[in-house]
Amino acid sequence: MSDSSNQIEICFEINGRQVTQTVPVRMHAADFLRHQIGLTGTHLGCEQGICGMCTISVDDRPVKSCLMLAVQLDGAKVRTVESLAPDETELHPLQAAFKRHHALQCGFCTPGFLMLARSFAGRRMNRAEIAEEISGVLCRCTGYEGILRAIEEWLPGTWTDASLSDEAGQ
Amino acid sequence: MTVVHKTVMESGTAIGQALARKEDDRLLRGGGLYVDDACALRQFAMAVARCPFPHARIRHLDVRAAAALPGVVHILTGTEVQCLTNPITVLRPVPGAPMLPYYALAQEYALHEGHAVVSIVAQSRAVAEDAIELLEIDYEPLPHVTDMTRVLDPDAPVLHPQIMTSNLMASKTDYSGNPRAKLAEAALVDYDRFFVNRVAPLSMEPRGVLASWRSGARELDFRSSTQVPHLVRKQLAEALRLDEGAIRVVASDVGGAYGMKLGLFPEELLAAVHAMHLGHPVKWIEDRMEYFRASTHGRESFHDMTIGTDDQGRILAIINEYTNDIGAWNSPFGSSQLSSVTFTGPYHVPDAQVCRHVVLSNKTPIGAYRGYGQPEVNFAREVLLDRVARKLDISPLDIRRRNLLRPEDLPWRTPSGAVYDNGDYLRPLEMLAGATDYEAHFDRPRRPRADGRIVGIGLSSFVERTGYASARFLARRGSHFGAHESVTLRANRSGGIDLYTGVSTCGQGNETAFAQICAAVTGVHYDAIRVHAGDTAQSPLNTGAFASRTLIAAAGALKQAGDAFRDKTLRIAAMVLQISPEDLSIAKGLVHSVREPDRTITLVDVFNRAITGQGIPEGLEPGLETTAHFEPPEASFSFGSAAAVVAVDPETGDFDIERFVFVHDCGVAVNPLLVEGQVRGALVQGLGAALSEELRYDRETGQLINGSMMDYFALTCSDVPKIELMHTEIPSDVTTFGVRGVGEVGTIPPAAAVANALCDALRDYGVAFSALPLTPETVWRALQNVRNKGETP
Ligand code: FES
Ligand code: FES
Repeated sequence: MSDSSNQIEICFEINGRQVTQTVPVRMHAADFLRHQIGLTGTHLGCEQGICGMCTISVDDRPVKSCLMLAVQLDGAKVRTVESLAPDETELHPLQAAFKRHHALQCGFCTPGFLMLARSFAGRRMNRAEIAEEISGVLCRCTGYEGILRAIEEWLPGTWTDASLSDEAGQ
Repeated sequence: MTVVHKTVMESGTAIGQALARKEDDRLLRGGGLYVDDACALRQFAMAVARCPFPHARIRHLDVRAAAALPGVVHILTGTEVQCLTNPITVLRPVPGAPMLPYYALAQEYALHEGHAVVSIVAQSRAVAEDAIELLEIDYEPLPHVTDMTRVLDPDAPVLHPQIMTSNLMASKTDYSGNPRAKLAEAALVDYDRFFVNRVAPLSMEPRGVLASWRSGARELDFRSSTQVPHLVRKQLAEALRLDEGAIRVVASDVGGAYGMKLGLFPEELLAAVHAMHLGHPVKWIEDRMEYFRASTHGRESFHDMTIGTDDQGRILAIINEYTNDIGAWNSPFGSSQLSSVTFTGPYHVPDAQVCRHVVLSNKTPIGAYRGYGQPEVNFAREVLLDRVARKLDISPLDIRRRNLLRPEDLPWRTPSGAVYDNGDYLRPLEMLAGATDYEAHFDRPRRPRADGRIVGIGLSSFVERTGYASARFLARRGSHFGAHESVTLRANRSGGIDLYTGVSTCGQGNETAFAQICAAVTGVHYDAIRVHAGDTAQSPLNTGAFASRTLIAAAGALKQAGDAFRDKTLRIAAMVLQISPEDLSIAKGLVHSVREPDRTITLVDVFNRAITGQGIPEGLEPGLETTAHFEPPEASFSFGSAAAVVAVDPETGDFDIERFVFVHDCGVAVNPLLVEGQVRGALVQGLGAALSEELRYDRETGQLINGSMMDYFALTCSDVPKIELMHTEIPSDVTTFGVRGVGEVGTIPPAAAVANALCDALRDYGVAFSALPLTPETVWRALQNVRNKGETP
């Protein structure tokens, strides 16, 4: 089977932008976002649903995009790490917390953690609960401590007006 | 620890501050540039067909059906590879070992599961993978050996019979004093064989390459996920029979490496050969299944360890004979040698002997991996030392107190010839004893708590060799690289510095640390320094980011280049301001008079004068650019002690690590934030290897049993115990600024600390552990063993 056969047109929203595009039916969502939409912030580490590098937000839920076909994005509202920061100079509060707490080294896992943690906005979670929930993403560099500290620090700020502060500008 | 904000930072005092990292903004925004994020116009994709057997002869190979698949553009087999390339050269040969010609594709024989046999380039990776399914390869499976204790058996198949008569690559003995005579005098001699598990370095970014060939220019542009761009360039030139000048290697962001990405891999070479043939860019991105079978693994070894002491527990001699199983080939970086350097650990042992054997087996090659020999031997020595203490009825704390090297013993030469620099090895141990209330714990009976668990504390003391002791030392061992680092500082018209280094960005924060040192030396603001890393076309020749050596060597280069840069800046400013250079200082983008701070000139002005050559002192060369190479005179040793506090259920063997305390000295910390990150990351890798990671081969089929992310258990966030860090900071007297390396140290003590803690908790049961990983099942089995012998309390 060659790539040009079996393409389907899909229409979806990516980081606030409406896109209509033809996709090969056998391509997974992460490959599609990376190589056809050009959003390379979403990474791949296993294509097996384990490492979490490919975590994105689909209809406001965190999803491992290697386990999803591109065609399944049809009609969805998709967000990737590129959508977080409001502009070139300012970081999203979660990103800023990651930076303050040295929550990244090589940075390959970072988009996955950010997109997963972002979905915690408004929730009350203690350290152990955060640790449990982020265990779907692996990090081989940091030992996780900085990541935990960053999320712990950022989370309370989302409790009062979670939907406003976290979703601003998107 | 949180980051110091840049506004409170004066450029001149940037060493020692927890500055925010230069790397972070792009990586947080998804703007990193890992290999698969770059693409070239009309690039093709490569996929590799791999041998499914641990050992096989390739009887027949037919690629016609694959070649006929629409979209397939080029296929390479072993035969073409042998014509078109030289074998991949080894960067660090095993001393005394024969050279094994390592071609990018299997020749007649495939020697491990995952050995590359055919590579296919097509319009897309999917098509290339479809084409692999159409290959007709007739394998004749051959007898194999994957058990490292059996590779030298008379009936074991020899992997490289054309070159070797057995699977023994090399043996080497180092000794000092007369350890055998001392053992004969010893009041107590204890011995055991310790098994260290084969593990995966497991960078989250797998390997990858994008190779482009400009045919008219005959130039190869090579983007790779590597720690050593300049060394990869050297190996590419040798393998492709090209001038080095024709090759540019670029490593932008590297998604984790940990020693594994040290040198040219077969698949990378294949991509280059395809690209040169096609005149089209070729990309290969490793998938995780390939990663587990065809990158390099780490660690696997067994150590026969003997310790003899007097009746007070003073060590009289240590003898360590060990075997490193390096798999089917000497990978580019070869076998670890650091077990031989650090086998006596932080202890005063004048009489000691170490013997290393390097053997081959039908498994994936072993390469460098964080710690590289040091965690292995530390496990064996520290566990055996605790057994000695128990037999002599001395506490594990006291036996370490009695044997640790004292400041006045340093510098200390080990049997391998390595020299430990200055330090105070006792202090971290005492801090640890205080933090864990060790002595009170030790005297308490080991009774189960209300939850049925018994608490134990285990200690593990260590040294870490960081950096290399000079190029002369490396030359004696036949290494094809030096001990130096280099850096170029170039003034730009905006009043800033472009800093060029061949060290690629793999996560350690080198862009940050380099800029911090550069700011401290030159006075140019941290924010005005832009680091350009990992591009051979831009950077001066260097060595690379490995062996915890980068900063040790680079600090010296940055100091020299920075001093020269500052001198010239001041000379130009002195002419303009009519003030002598000694009375000038650089801060906040200005050169100003020390006495009259209002008399200033901007760096923009000074740098523009230098760049144009207009308005500079008579006789001064135009331009403002300095390059320095620095080779540290000696390696430096980090040191410390760690403790694990475990709670174990004596019925089921289930256990938790309730605390892990790590006290350590890495000399002067350029950036405490980076140091903490390095230490924590390495500790968690060390704990993973101690608790759950192991690559297992099926003895019958010789195949990797758990070669996928689903079956290989790296620690997740909820698996990581509470880790407490403490530091002492004794500047090294052999390095610039007193720094010691820090990248690998965390991998060293965890396994022994956990094993010792389990033994301590279960001391009334008399269990012993001598193999990794330590799982609840291991503990349960050990308890069952004791119970079956009827020795339980
Ligand atoms: S790449 Fe999707 S979970 Fe690993
Ligand atoms: S920062 Fe490297 S894997 Fe997490």
